Amino acid sequence: MSRQAPLVIDNGTGYTKMGFAGNSEPSFVFPTVIATHQSASSTSSSTGGSGSARAPPPVASKPGHLASKRGIEDLDFFIGDEAVANSKTYSLHYPIRHGQIENWDHMERFWEQCIFKYLRAEPEDHYVLLTEPPLNPPENRENTAEIMFESFNVQGLYIAVQAVLALAASWTSSKVSERTLTGVVIDSGDGVTHTIPVAEGYVIGSSIKAIPIAGRDITYFVQQLLRDRGESGAIPPEDQLKVAEKIKEDYTYVCQDIVKEFKKYDSDPYKYFARFSGEHSVTGRKYDLDIGYERFLAPEIFFNPEIYSSDFLTPLPEVVDNVIQTSPIDVRRGLYKNIVLSGGSTMFKDFGRRLQRDVKAIVDGRIAGSEVKSGGHMKSSGLEVNVISHKRQRYAVWYGGSLMASTPEFYNVSHSRVDYEEYGPSLVRRFSVFGSAT
Amino acid sequence: MPAYHSVFNEDASVRQIGNMAVLPINTKIRGPAPIASDPSEPDIIEESLDLFRANCLFRNFEIKGPADRLMIYLILFISECLTKLSPTAGRPSPSYQEASKQLSTLAVDNFALPGDAGFPLNSLYHPPASRADADALRSYLTQTRSELAQRLCDRLYPPEHQLGADGQPTGQMGPRATKPSKWWMSFQKRRFMGRSLGA
Amino acid sequence: MILLESHNVIVHDVLTDRFEKPSRADIQFVDYDNVRFHLSTPDSKTVLLLSMGIQCWPDLVKYGARDHLEKTFEGLLLSQGETEPEYDVSLRIDLEQIPQDPESRNALIDKIAHFKSTAMSAPFISAFEEQASLQANYKDAAGAQQMDVQPQEAKGDLKVVKYREEEAIFIQASHDRVTIIFSTVFKDETDRVYGRVFLQEFVDARKLGSLQNAPQVRYSNREPPLEIRHLPGLKNGEDWGYVTFVLFPRHFANPAQALATINRIQLFRDYLHYHIKCSKAYMHSRMRYRVAEFLKILNRAKPEVAVPQEKKTASGRTFRRQ
Repeated sequence: MSRQAPLVIDNGTGYTKMGFAGNSEPSFVFPTVIATHQSASSTSSSTGGSGSARAPPPVASKPGHLASKRGIEDLDFFIGDEAVANSKTYSLHYPIRHGQIENWDHMERFWEQCIFKYLRAEPEDHYVLLTEPPLNPPENRENTAEIMFESFNVQGLYIAVQAVLALAASWTSSKVSERTLTGVVIDSGDGVTHTIPVAEGYVIGSSIKAIPIAGRDITYFVQQLLRDRGESGAIPPEDQLKVAEKIKEDYTYVCQDIVKEFKKYDSDPYKYFARFSGEHSVTGRKYDLDIGYERFLAPEIFFNPEIYSSDFLTPLPEVVDNVIQTSPIDVRRGLYKNIVLSGGSTMFKDFGRRLQRDVKAIVDGRIAGSEVKSGGHMKSSGLEVNVISHKRQRYAVWYGGSLMASTPEFYNVSHSRVDYEEYGPSLVRRFSVFGSAT
Repeated sequence: MPAYHSVFNEDASVRQIGNMAVLPINTKIRGPAPIASDPSEPDIIEESLDLFRANCLFRNFEIKGPADRLMIYLILFISECLTKLSPTAGRPSPSYQEASKQLSTLAVDNFALPGDAGFPLNSLYHPPASRADADALRSYLTQTRSELAQRLCDRLYPPEHQLGADGQPTGQMGPRATKPSKWWMSFQKRRFMGRSLGA
Repeated sequence: MILLESHNVIVHDVLTDRFEKPSRADIQFVDYDNVRFHLSTPDSKTVLLLSMGIQCWPDLVKYGARDHLEKTFEGLLLSQGETEPEYDVSLRIDLEQIPQDPESRNALIDKIAHFKSTAMSAPFISAFEEQASLQANYKDAAGAQQMDVQPQEAKGDLKVVKYREEEAIFIQASHDRVTIIFSTVFKDETDRVYGRVFLQEFVDARKLGSLQNAPQVRYSNREPPLEIRHLPGLKNGEDWGYVTFVLFPRHFANPAQALATINRIQLFRDYLHYHIKCSKAYMHSRMRYRVAEFLKILNRAKPEVAVPQEKKTASGRTFRRQ
């Protein structure tokens, strides 16, 4: 029998991306959210793991048939977009926080529907590739393995680090000449941006930096600029965020210099200012507004966080440079050479170019400085700085997973069901990197 | 990329009062300011107007020279002008003529000098050394403020592009706008370095 | 979600998207029971090719799947020769020729999303038809030879659909009923236990008044039921289970009802395994809850660590009592 395509599921804090290996895009992308029928108060507020204040799952009260012993509440839930649509009558829960699974009950049920309702796959027939954030505690991997093998009886499981998959995804770029698993991944989603150095498939955990600026902040900033200019009067209040998001996605780009950009708008307003037409989501009334400087100012908050936030001030290029400088010296050259973008919030036009220029400027500045200090005795051969953008950037992690899971090697490095039965959940503590040899 | 600095910082020959530079400007308004040697080159007023929108997004600014101090002062003054022109309840934004008059008045109005109690940046500016210096600075700043107010008005009320039948600009310029440009006014709420001259 | 949906969500989603705005596609995906799909645009953006590979295709063809598909997807189904290599059937959907009004569009999307279930329904439909003719003949026969020796039970052919590697569906029509037997294998010891409880539930549930009209269900473990015991190569071991459904004509009286019945019953095996998995998930929730509760109790039992009190000497220095 021919093997069936492995399932590739990337559960992110904001969105879950899933599909079958070998495809270029995930088949489903929806919010990682589950809508359950339990009272909201008992579950939502618990911050820690399996909450202490949680209501117990329903239990048998009277003898008789199982169906009458307990209800079927545990099957009465929705996930993803359907969950959001049903938020009025159900309560929403986000099982993943900061990239890590916090509520295993919800997560297990979330997977139930992922696999059975959306992918329509019998997990017993498939291998599964899941992703995890960098620095995921081994206990979490074990829990994941337990659920996958014991609840779902999967044939095999591989848990990949998101950053490593993002690196693999960048191999599609024409700029990449050698397939290496060394590089810095800049992963920017909706909630947080991570800068993760990876050396030969292993994450350098001590140097990871998180930046509290990501997609959501850009949306807020667009909204703020619109409000400052008095455009928001035209937008119905309930659509404000949606409009800001739309503007962010359709109109923004990264400029090379703010002042020059302002001048461009002054001298040729018709080329740069744009007009946005929307429709009221409830009443259907049409409205228009002007779009101006937010087109380039919005993504600028990565490069000048100061203009948006008052407590985080380090520009992204500086963070990248710092991350590389705190990594072991022998991999730094490789890291500068391969800075890879991943996630929806790195999709702004010219984002890569600007980042490359700014990082290069920092590096060149430092090299020049040390050349001067050496009194002209030392001459540097220069350092290559490369920022890689590619077509699959938005779902880079998923795409990397799809690539890896479609290689024959995948079956060798995955943990199989037989192994699991032999060694138990601790099996997944062993971490095997693959792809590095090719 | 932090906030933008003045290009005049490097010029060591410039006279300073306190630690603020007294830079030459292009102007027809009478006053003590040195006249720029080349009128086609942008002066500090032009520079401040250009950098205003970018810089007032920033809250932090590292002063690199005396020219920066003058620029900060002028940027803060632009903010004050915008506040003056912004519409309030029952009082819409003025027309070009009206605005020009209001700003000219504002420019020559009494204002605080470094060292005075009302000056917002006293920690960064040295007071003028003597009474004579103070007077010189006041008249220099008055002149600069007046010139700036005039040029700001021209930018705030640009001649509008005439639109052809297809809604595209024909390249002809029409009369000046009747309201100050919202592309400028939107920066009124932003406070460069978190300061303002007014309060 | 209690019942699995009978349509394929990916087909549905992609078609909905492409009907609005044609663009390139090359997607491979699966459905239950070793069904592979390939949706692609080989020639131009406006022509979609949807191919399906079903493991039990040879069985299905025997029971008229091809004719049935041809009837349902008239004009879309490609002939045997044109079918994409490595797949069993292909549909070609020309986006320039789809209906314009949203309602018939949705109907078409829905129809195509049921591609697999339509193919799988062929043996059931033919069994239902067979039953109808058997019933008619039986009546005639019974009428002709009244008071004769006991009427011999008329039985149709036993249809075998090996829909999975080792598991099969057996369908047999007779004059008053259609019997459907599923064989299923439990790969896991725990699953077998759950499965047995679960299947017993089916049997028991029928005793409830409200479910009297449901098809009769029998479950046997290890031993294959009598109807198919004569077949060679049947497995009988601990981890094998056989579920028998007896459908009476009232369960497929009209086409709509028949379709609903077929759509449910063909996913029965997946339904069963889905619920076993859900039950395990539920048990895990209970376990986690219990553990958390016990931990709370254990924590209560923790002896309080006596914080050594800091004492000050007269001179103001502190010391700690050892």
